Amino acid sequence: MALDSLESKAYAAFKKSRVIVHRMIQQLELRHPWPVRLWHWLTATAIGVLLLTGMLLFDIHPRLYWGDDGHEGMPAFFSISAPDLDRPVLQTDLQIGSYHFDLSGRLGLAVDTGFGDKDFLVFTPPADWDFGATRGWHFLCAWVLILGTIVYVVYLVASGRLRRMLWPTSDEFTLASLGRELSQHLRLRRARGEATRRYNLLQKISYLGMFFVLIPVLVVSGITMSNSVTAAFPDLLALFGGRQSARSIHFIAAMLLLGFILVHVFQVFVAGFFNLMRSMITGWFAVEREESP
Amino acid sequence: MSRLITRRGLIVGGAAAAGSLLSACARVDNHWPAPAMLDASDAFTRGAERLLLGRRPLARELSLADISAHFPLSGTFMPKGDVYKRFLDEEFASWRLRVHGLVDRPLSLSLADLHALPSRTQITLHQCDEGWSAVAQWTGVPLGRVLGLAGVQKRARYVVFHCLDQVELDRNYYYESIDLRDATHPQTILAYGMNGKALPVQHGAPLRLRVELQIGYKNAKYVDRIEVVDSLGSIGKGRGGWWEDFDHAIWYAGQ
Repeated sequence: MALDSLESKAYAAFKKSRVIVHRMIQQLELRHPWPVRLWHWLTATAIGVLLLTGMLLFDIHPRLYWGDDGHEGMPAFFSISAPDLDRPVLQTDLQIGSYHFDLSGRLGLAVDTGFGDKDFLVFTPPADWDFGATRGWHFLCAWVLILGTIVYVVYLVASGRLRRMLWPTSDEFTLASLGRELSQHLRLRRARGEATRRYNLLQKISYLGMFFVLIPVLVVSGITMSNSVTAAFPDLLALFGGRQSARSIHFIAAMLLLGFILVHVFQVFVAGFFNLMRSMITGWFAVEREESP
Repeated sequence: MSRLITRRGLIVGGAAAAGSLLSACARVDNHWPAPAMLDASDAFTRGAERLLLGRRPLARELSLADISAHFPLSGTFMPKGDVYKRFLDEEFASWRLRVHGLVDRPLSLSLADLHALPSRTQITLHQCDEGWSAVAQWTGVPLGRVLGLAGVQKRARYVVFHCLDQVELDRNYYYESIDLRDATHPQTILAYGMNGKALPVQHGAPLRLRVELQIGYKNAKYVDRIEVVDSLGSIGKGRGGWWEDFDHAIWYAGQ
C-alpha cells in the first residue's frame, strides 16, 4: 500500500514534469501561400537593385533641387560638392539647407569624364561599372516592382488577405492601442503565442503604407522625370512642383523605403529569425501553443 | 581621433562592401542573359509608352523667363582635329549636312539651305541621365521636313546621326539613332540656333539634334550626316549609339 502510494506519487510527479516540459508545443501552420512568398522575394530583389542603381545615379549628381531646372551653379537644398576638382585633396562640402559640414579629404573624388573635364563623385564606383547600364537595370527592376505590386494588390483584395490580415480591426484603431503597440515595439517586446498569428497594428500600417503610399509615390515621382510621360500627363509636373522636385521626392521616398527595409530586417531578428525566414521561404510558421490537458 | 578613424573605417569598409557587390553586378552586364534582359526591358518600355501615352504628345514648352542662365556642358564641348577646326575658321561655309541611306533623293544641305527651310522654335527642358536639367530655346528645321525632302523609303525604320566629334575614350566618332516615329515628331528638330543666337560650339555647332521626348544623350551634337537605315546592326557595335555601345546605355532612353 505504502509502496503503491509512493509509486503513484512518483508517477504523478513524473506525469507532472512531462506536462511541464511539454506545456508549450509548436504547431506549424501555413502562413504565407506561394503568391506572397514569390512577390516578397521578387520585390526584395528588385528593390535591392533599385536602391543600388539609384545610389549610383545619385553618386554622379549628388544634389537635390526644387522646381524644374536644376544643375551645378543653381541653389540646391542638399548637396555634396567640392569647389575645385583639380586639387589633390578635395574640399568636400556637405550642404543641407543653410548648414555646411566640412568633409574635406573624407568623402568625394574627382573622375575624368573622358570628354576633357572632371565629375565629382561621392563614392568610388567599381572600376568595371557601366554607368550607362545603371538606368537600364533601374528600369528593368522598376517594371518588376510596378507590375508585381499591381498583380499582388489585386491578389490581396481578391483572396481576402487584405481584409483578413492587413486591414486594422476597429478595436485596433484607437489611440490607446496605438500607444500600447508603440511602447511594446520600442521596448523590443516580442509577441508570443497566439499573438504571433496575426500582424500587429504597426506592421499593418507599415505594410499598407508600402503598397498604397510609398511604392506609388516612388513610381509616380520616378516617371515624372521622363519627358515623354509628362508630355502626355503634364499634370504630374504640377503635382510634384516640377521635374527636379519629383527627383528630390523620389530620393527622399527611396530613403524612407531603405528605412522600412532596415526596420523590417531588424524585426525579423527580434521576432525570431529562423521561424520567420522559414515562413517566408516554405510558407510554414510555427505558433507556440499551450498543450490542452 | 580614434572615433574619427573608426568612422572613416566604417565609411571605407561600407563603400568597399557596396563596391564589391556592385562590381559583381557590373560584370553581369556583358554576359547572357543580362544584355537580353536589358534589351527586353527597354523594348517593353518603348511598347508600353507608345501604348499608354497615345499619339505623339508634345513635350511641355516653357516661356522665355524660364530659360536657364547657365546651360551645363555635357559630352564633347570642343571637337578635336583639323576638319572641325577648318569648319570653325570658315564659319561652316563648306560644311554640308548629308542625308543618305534608304532615301529616294540623297541630300547635301548647307547651313544656308537649312536656314531657308521653315523653322520651329521651342523652349524646352533638357534632361541629362546624370540627373540635372536645364531650359533653353532651340531653333531649327523639323527633322521630318528634311526626311520628307529626301523621301524615306518604305523599309526604313531608324534614323542615324553621325557626328563630327571623336570621343577620346574609344576614338570613335559620336553617333546616335532614333526610330522614325521619334524622328517625325513635330518637336524633333535639327537645331542651328540656341537662345536666339547661332548654336555655340560647346553645344554642338553648327547643327545638333533636339529630340524632346528623349533623354540628354540622344540629342546628338555636331551632326555631320544623317543615315536612314532598316536595322541598327551595322552601325557601331550594333546597339544604336555611342553610349549604348560603349557603356550599355539603353537605346530607347526616353522611358
